[in-house]
Amino acid sequence: MKIASLLAVMAVASVAFSLPGDALAQGKPKIVVFTKNVTNPFWKAVRVGADKAGKELNADIEHAAPTKPDNIEEQTRLVEDWIVRKPAAMVFVPVDFKALVPTIQKVNKAGIPVVVFSNRMSDVDYVTYVGSDDETIGYEITKYLIASIGGKGKIVHIDGVPAAITAQLRKKGMERALKEHPQVELLASQPGNYRRLPAVQVFENLMQRFPQIDGVVCANDDMAVGVAEALAAAGRGSKTKVVGIDAIPDGVAAIVAGKMQASADYSGHDQGYLATVAAIRHLRGEKLPKEIALPVAIVEKGNAKPWTVPVEEKPTPDWKKVIDAQKKL
Amino acid sequence: MIAAVQRLPAEVLFVVFTRTAFVAALVVLLAVASPHFLTTDNMIIVLRQAALQFLMAAGLTLVVLTGGIDLSVGAILGLAACVAAALIANGLVVLGVLAALGVGLACGLVNGALVAWVGIPAFIATYGMLWVAHGLGYVFMKGEVIHGFPAGFRAIGAGFLGGIPVPVLVGAVLLLVLHVVLHFTRFGRALYAIGGNPVAARLTGIRTRRVLVGVYALSGVLAGFAALVVIARTNAADSGTGEELLLTAIAAVCLGGTSLFGGVGGIVGTAIGSLILALVVNGMNMLGIATLWQAFAMGAIVILAVLADVSFKRRSS
Amino acid sequence: MSAVVRALRPPLGVLPELPGAAYLLALLAAGFSLASPDFLSPRNLGNVGLQAAALIIVSLGMTLVILTEGIDLSLGAVLGLCGVVFSLLLVSQGSLPLALGAALLIGLAAGCANGGLVAYAGMPPFIVTLGVYGMAQSIAMVLTGGNSVTGLPESVRWFNEGVWLGVPVPILAMAALFALTWVLLYRTRFGRYVFAIGGNRRALELAGVPVRAWLVAIYAYAGLLAAAASFIMTARMNAAHPTIGIGLEFDAIAAVILGGTSFEKGRGGLWGTLVGALAVAVLRNGLNLIGLSTEWQVAVVGLVIVGAVALDALRGRT
Repeated sequence: MKIASLLAVMAVASVAFSLPGDALAQGKPKIVVFTKNVTNPFWKAVRVGADKAGKELNADIEHAAPTKPDNIEEQTRLVEDWIVRKPAAMVFVPVDFKALVPTIQKVNKAGIPVVVFSNRMSDVDYVTYVGSDDETIGYEITKYLIASIGGKGKIVHIDGVPAAITAQLRKKGMERALKEHPQVELLASQPGNYRRLPAVQVFENLMQRFPQIDGVVCANDDMAVGVAEALAAAGRGSKTKVVGIDAIPDGVAAIVAGKMQASADYSGHDQGYLATVAAIRHLRGEKLPKEIALPVAIVEKGNAKPWTVPVEEKPTPDWKKVIDAQKKL
Repeated sequence: MIAAVQRLPAEVLFVVFTRTAFVAALVVLLAVASPHFLTTDNMIIVLRQAALQFLMAAGLTLVVLTGGIDLSVGAILGLAACVAAALIANGLVVLGVLAALGVGLACGLVNGALVAWVGIPAFIATYGMLWVAHGLGYVFMKGEVIHGFPAGFRAIGAGFLGGIPVPVLVGAVLLLVLHVVLHFTRFGRALYAIGGNPVAARLTGIRTRRVLVGVYALSGVLAGFAALVVIARTNAADSGTGEELLLTAIAAVCLGGTSLFGGVGGIVGTAIGSLILALVVNGMNMLGIATLWQAFAMGAIVILAVLADVSFKRRSS
Repeated sequence: MSAVVRALRPPLGVLPELPGAAYLLALLAAGFSLASPDFLSPRNLGNVGLQAAALIIVSLGMTLVILTEGIDLSLGAVLGLCGVVFSLLLVSQGSLPLALGAALLIGLAAGCANGGLVAYAGMPPFIVTLGVYGMAQSIAMVLTGGNSVTGLPESVRWFNEGVWLGVPVPILAMAALFALTWVLLYRTRFGRYVFAIGGNRRALELAGVPVRAWLVAIYAYAGLLAAAASFIMTARMNAAHPTIGIGLEFDAIAAVILGGTSFEKGRGGLWGTLVGALAVAVLRNGLNLIGLSTEWQVAVVGLVIVGAVALDALRGRT
């Protein structure tokens, strides 16, 4: 009697669960694109770019992101589960560039090609690395800030998530720029964890500690906009220059409005597009450069127009142009 | 006045005394350690941060008084923030405000129904709601950020009235209202009764199930309200909004002397607890202590505070 | 009794006396096998087992704690700290026994701190373990600067990839620790006290049993299990990260409750926890395999947990 009712429950469940299974390839290669979370608009831009690549080159794109943002254990599970599904290729950014190494090695062992983007990884096989150079970005944006405050003064650094490779490299670039300008003093470097509210609160406290701050370099725009608003609210907006990284719509709007000075473009859209195109082209047998670096572009008021376009309508980069540019770099 | 104070139970006096003493000690310590601490500007910043924390923790206090817990307050805040932001960014401010409160109410009612009518432990029910609210937030936002609200709305979070930040005024009003509700209405007294002894409460005629549904619903509405202040402050909303606020809200409630066992504590304590947390964070930034130590400081302070409360209770009983 | 519960009880009474998790697991397994061609593949089933190993081990300790009407929110952070200490020592001193010993000691110490404050100071377990969570997390972050610890010797990978007598090491560890906990809980005085403290603590105290000391032991055991789980996790990532275990404690609590152990009645058991943990692991794995978008996965997990517990509540089991 008991077994019978248990079986009945299972039968009902089976019928209820007859969802459409894994879509048949139908000749289209299935490519899975990993992003770090579904909360940060940067990764949304990556997904939009990847989808455009899939539509253009006739590939089936699926997305994978952990339910708990940036969760290492979950991304590990996601990769393991995807190995079982045998995609044609993986476009991958690690939540932690060290902790995901063994799992990507498993992907290598399973013979699935991997394109890494945005965060470099070592000790794994990958077809190509697509990304901007975070160290150069940190360097260039800090140089811009230093130039805009006249080559001397006091600045504050609002860091991202300290463990993230992007934050570490950007900070290194900032330090390199500072070394070249000994007349600029770094008052403090505190993490805002790439989130607006924590950055605002940290910066507010720092504003109290340091009555004079000439410039602020923030590891991303989400924080930079918050900092700019905090300065405006305190009436110190005109005395302090703010720069950020990412050139997200919010940041670009702040630049156009004069609240922020500049942002370094770290185009998730372009990275997502190019990384996915690279994966598809690799599947077609093309040889690719080991690294595809995106140029650093500083967005300021004068040239901001192209960045005010919503990410869905942004034009996709020209693959051939990008590859040709690699040979020159 | 003296008579009124004498009527207060010893525990309440102990809590108020110890917390006030701690706040005073902190302020003195930080004022000595850092010249920029005791300035008007800095105090305003501390108060505003405390007010935001308090708004988050207010509804939670009421739930904890009944011996329950609401783990979903952060997620409800996030969902309400996203829905409201979508409307407010398009100029529909009133509708946005109503939407935030409505979302909070709906989630809170579900929590209350699960706990009171179905009988699921509050921990699990609100934990499930945490996931559902987060998920709905992600689906709604599709990874985007909504930013740019009308200046009139933004004043709620970023504005000043007579030199005092608006969130502080809002927090003060909320503190007063909730204090009155807790100590001068049947609903408030019922919360304490249920927290102290649920069986006895029912025997004295309190409709415990209704009260519980009500308190979770209220917690949800207050989370929705806090969402409005937060997005007015940051001028943006995304699906991660509010995620980091849950644990500090619980800390604020416990620091304030409200017992997780239920039946003891109050909203004034939560306000003081929020102030303490804001002072600690501000102080650490002032002294240049790495942010990595903040969680340690909060954990230690909360344990010490509750330890003191519990020890005092034992000694006096 | 509410009208809702009264209305639903008769039809639900048809279901045999198993915790909601058992039905959940059966439902999910059946559903996912049909919806995804890969679910029943040996590779995937093996994955699920390995993915669930750390969760199951931590859930064992959590079961004991919840049986005493307590809760331990620090287990995830303690796991992270143990992993960090283990890795840092291994990298700097090169001695595996030293690293293992130190990590186990940390787990033990954290558990004793939890248990001590709960038992001797009479503080609510929620707050004590929340405070310890914050402190353990901070210490781990400071020790590593928020970074992963890498450069571990190859031998560490044995904890996750090694095979002994044909069975993967994590599964063996899980089975061994399950067996150990089972014996402790159902065949020793320690176990009887676990149930008694949850069911009727006062009676035990009156009988002259040093209840407080035993309570400390229970939390200490949970801490040791967290340390054990940290070895597996560290091996899986070939790195230690301070935040690696965050969130695991909530999954463990969900697994225990789903498995039928009640917060309030000192009733429940280890098999239920095992089924509950497997249900959580299968749910996550299956949702990935059918390709449900991340956004919806988050909502579905919440709905499923609440649904399963509601089922038990309606049947009068919570």
